[in-house]
Amino acid sequence: MKISTNWLKDFVELAPPLSRIADRLTMAGLEVKQCETLKTPSDTLFEIEITSNRPDWLSHWGVAREIAAVENLSLKNPGVDPETGRMPPPGWEIRIKDAAGCPYYTGVLIEGITETKTPEFIVSRLLACGIRSVHLIVDITNYVLLEVGQPLHAFDADLIRNKEIVVRRPKGGEKFTGINGAEMTLKSEDLVIADRERAIALAGVMGGKDSEITDKTRNVFLESAFFDPGRVRKTSRTHLLSSDASYRFERRVDPEAVDIGRSRALALIQKYGKPRHISAVIKAGEKPQLEVKTVQLKSSDVKQILGVDIKPSQIALILGRLGLEVKQCSGNTPDMAPSKTEQGIWRVGIPSFRPDLTRPVDLVEEIARIYGYENIPETLPPREPLTVGESPRLGLENKVRNFLSNAGLSETVTFSLVSEDGLDPEKDLKHAVQIINPLQHGLHWMRPTLVTSLLNVIQKNVNAANADSVAIFEIANTYSAPDAHKHPVEERICAIAMYGKKAEQTWLDAARSVTFYDLKGAVEAVLRAAGCSEWCVAKAEKSYFSPGVAEELRLWQTPVALMGEVSAVLREQWGLKEPVFYAEISLEKLTEQARRVRTFKEWPKYPAIERDLSLVVKESVKSGDLTGEIRGLGQGLIREVMLFDLFRGKRVPEGYKNLAFRIVYQSAERTLVSGEAQEIHDQIARTLVQKYQASFQT
Amino acid sequence: MKDKIRQLEEEARADLVRIDSADAADVFRVAYLGKKGKLTELFKRLGAVPADEKKAVGAELNRVKQWLESAVEGFRQKAPNKGVPDAAFDETLPGIRPPQGSIHLLQQTIREISGIFNRMGFETVEGPEIETEFHNFTALNIPLNHPSRDAFDTFYTTHGQLLRSQTSPVQIRVMKERRPPLKIIAPGRVYRPDTVDASHSFMFHQIEGLMVDDRVTFSDLKGILHLFLRELFGSSTRIRFRPHFFPFTEPSVEVDIQWGKGWLEILGAGNVDPHVFEEVGYDASVVRGLAFGLGVERIAMLRHGINDIRHFYENDLRFLRQFA
Repeated sequence: MKISTNWLKDFVELAPPLSRIADRLTMAGLEVKQCETLKTPSDTLFEIEITSNRPDWLSHWGVAREIAAVENLSLKNPGVDPETGRMPPPGWEIRIKDAAGCPYYTGVLIEGITETKTPEFIVSRLLACGIRSVHLIVDITNYVLLEVGQPLHAFDADLIRNKEIVVRRPKGGEKFTGINGAEMTLKSEDLVIADRERAIALAGVMGGKDSEITDKTRNVFLESAFFDPGRVRKTSRTHLLSSDASYRFERRVDPEAVDIGRSRALALIQKYGKPRHISAVIKAGEKPQLEVKTVQLKSSDVKQILGVDIKPSQIALILGRLGLEVKQCSGNTPDMAPSKTEQGIWRVGIPSFRPDLTRPVDLVEEIARIYGYENIPETLPPREPLTVGESPRLGLENKVRNFLSNAGLSETVTFSLVSEDGLDPEKDLKHAVQIINPLQHGLHWMRPTLVTSLLNVIQKNVNAANADSVAIFEIANTYSAPDAHKHPVEERICAIAMYGKKAEQTWLDAARSVTFYDLKGAVEAVLRAAGCSEWCVAKAEKSYFSPGVAEELRLWQTPVALMGEVSAVLREQWGLKEPVFYAEISLEKLTEQARRVRTFKEWPKYPAIERDLSLVVKESVKSGDLTGEIRGLGQGLIREVMLFDLFRGKRVPEGYKNLAFRIVYQSAERTLVSGEAQEIHDQIARTLVQKYQASFQT
Repeated sequence: MKDKIRQLEEEARADLVRIDSADAADVFRVAYLGKKGKLTELFKRLGAVPADEKKAVGAELNRVKQWLESAVEGFRQKAPNKGVPDAAFDETLPGIRPPQGSIHLLQQTIREISGIFNRMGFETVEGPEIETEFHNFTALNIPLNHPSRDAFDTFYTTHGQLLRSQTSPVQIRVMKERRPPLKIIAPGRVYRPDTVDASHSFMFHQIEGLMVDDRVTFSDLKGILHLFLRELFGSSTRIRFRPHFFPFTEPSVEVDIQWGKGWLEILGAGNVDPHVFEEVGYDASVVRGLAFGLGVERIAMLRHGINDIRHFYENDLRFLRQFA
């Protein structure tokens, strides 16, 4: 909001420089964002930002009141006291049919306006605040709104049918055309001002087209009322209509300002519009009263909350400057001998424009503001760490983050909200959490997987950055609601995606493409980093993986990691030429299984014997089965089985593959004789030949 | 005996320097390690050494033997270039880079901020991102008709939950679970339906802090936050505490840091409002608390000179790798 400092001078003395006053206001919580100098007429504007608890600052008078408090000055009131008639206008009637929406409504009839020229000071002040002059009466209502904060509405009285004002809810499907010319269908929770036949204003938000003030207007019905903040806000939001009036009503106007604002407007209209007659005021309803009218405050409250001793006399002074009524409580009678530690207890009366002050702590904040936050000392509480550890999950998360970034992957942060692109409505989205008010079209799912998010990142880097290698990971939640009656479940996962080249080509090494097994290796390394040494592998299936090229790793039957090759359909959808490999590791489950402290294991001190075993088997034979078989046949003397070569073609027939294992024989108790190892080795070879129809061929 | 070994070692070292061919290496080998070599001779005299020294002398001889053998082996391999520097070695060839990934700048910032508070004794905790109205609003003293509850300002799910619009609900969860004293910080993702532009995003990160005991005051809040900001932005950082309004703190404050000629808002804080304590079942007349919240993106943008918030979520590798 723009505040004219010339205007402020009507109410309070401003000692130059104005920039000092701007700073003082900012440091008292009324932030002056900017100072702007105008030349004709010469003026300085404060651009102020107001917190939602202080609608009383939404006017020049309100800001002047704050300056008076901060600077310890006296405040003048706006000129009121118009000469109004003694009698209400004959035949006119106001009826409130919705007291919750409008507890207090006042109106007055102004007849026979003779002048319609707006005086220059009003025109220029309105203009400085961003409002164009349109018509004397409308200008005065705007002027009063900016001056005392009370929104008013002026109707052309001759266009109100049957001299009747009804404040009510709209009838079913009732239509209304605002002064902006837009026709709207009203909702039942809206509130309208109506005459006998139709709505003539949307209460607190906008006047109606067919009762507005025009050049022909001679008789005016002036409204000044209190509308319920919540109702005005709702209407304003429903119809996407916002006005200076609704802005103030929805933040709550001062009920006392209903009368002050109306009187101020009438005084101006009388002076500049020279009407023939102003009627007495017609009032309906009751002015809303504050729920809390007095608050008891002890000076010890101030010390306990702020940590600084402020003298009781100074506290009382500050409260007085804020326009609060301060009374010493009877407990502290003057005839009591003043104790060493002076203690004050007050009963503080709250004015109608400060409904935000209901408790001692609210008054303490007021005292702190005026005393100056900058004058409160800085202290440090005794440094006693209550806990020194970190949660195992967060510890693991950081370990994984360090590990993967050191392994060449870049961490991403992508949006948790995704569209259904690439996800199967049945398989992926069945239990997904949905947002009813998405911001962007389509982004209304809380993602059940990060696969599409990471595909987006790969796509972006390939297209925009021309990247030929993308290796990324993200640690974030996935969301699901398997039971609609329970709160949704969030699971922290680490997602990994790899695309393109495994490593950049260097002068020493050739580049090669990334494979599924690079991804698997990274996932296994994460498991090892978490302190796991053994897991089992099982085939897995997901809508976004190529059929058959997906697996999961399980720790004690619990699946902790899922990985696979992203399906050709998705790859095509994202326009990616090379294969994409994607994995998810559940950090939640991995934390449960992880070992934080590892126990030392002695390594065997007797020499080891290495033997290689190269055999040709059908494609359907799994290398893991062979490894397991070899171990099983080792009579406890095999320390390690390592697959060191795998090839097809050449001398290997179609449908077969050649696997080469290196087997390390070693005993923990004695030196193995080479014949002993050879015997076991031969036995293994014979068994594999029989059981897996393996053959030797090199 | 030991002197003899030392003498031999010195001689050998002098001879080694002069070797410039495979043949010379061979001559050297025979002279020291051959059947009648100088070292072999010393080994032969080991029998004459007193029993209590034998072990030590033997070890010493073996050490010298190993050294000479490896030296000879080394010369054999190098022999073809006869001690001339390797012409194929190019000290200007680039090194082979080990794989280098990166931790996201937002995570680095969270780590750094959390680290400062952890060292002050604040424990890092987390809470869910899908929240209830109670935790995100009601318990935080945000009135039922408050605009922030609107669908314009908060995302709602089809089952009546919402996406937390701030990390403050974590305060509520922790207070409901534990009794004072408490000292926690809670980093995480938050959501608001703001149209994405250079300074807005519908998802961003906050860090919430909460301290509760029976004596903490507003002046402690000032002390803690000033210490934190000096740690993060440097010891000469100038800050100011400006009154503000938040429904869940009273008094409330916004903290600005001096940035160039002006001031920049950097975090919001205050004493925990008694209503919040009542909502979580604490005795508001006894407990005192302070709370603060800050935007991770904002701090990262300021510190690293990033002018567009969208860089954080676009994940262009050219951006990510700058902060490796």
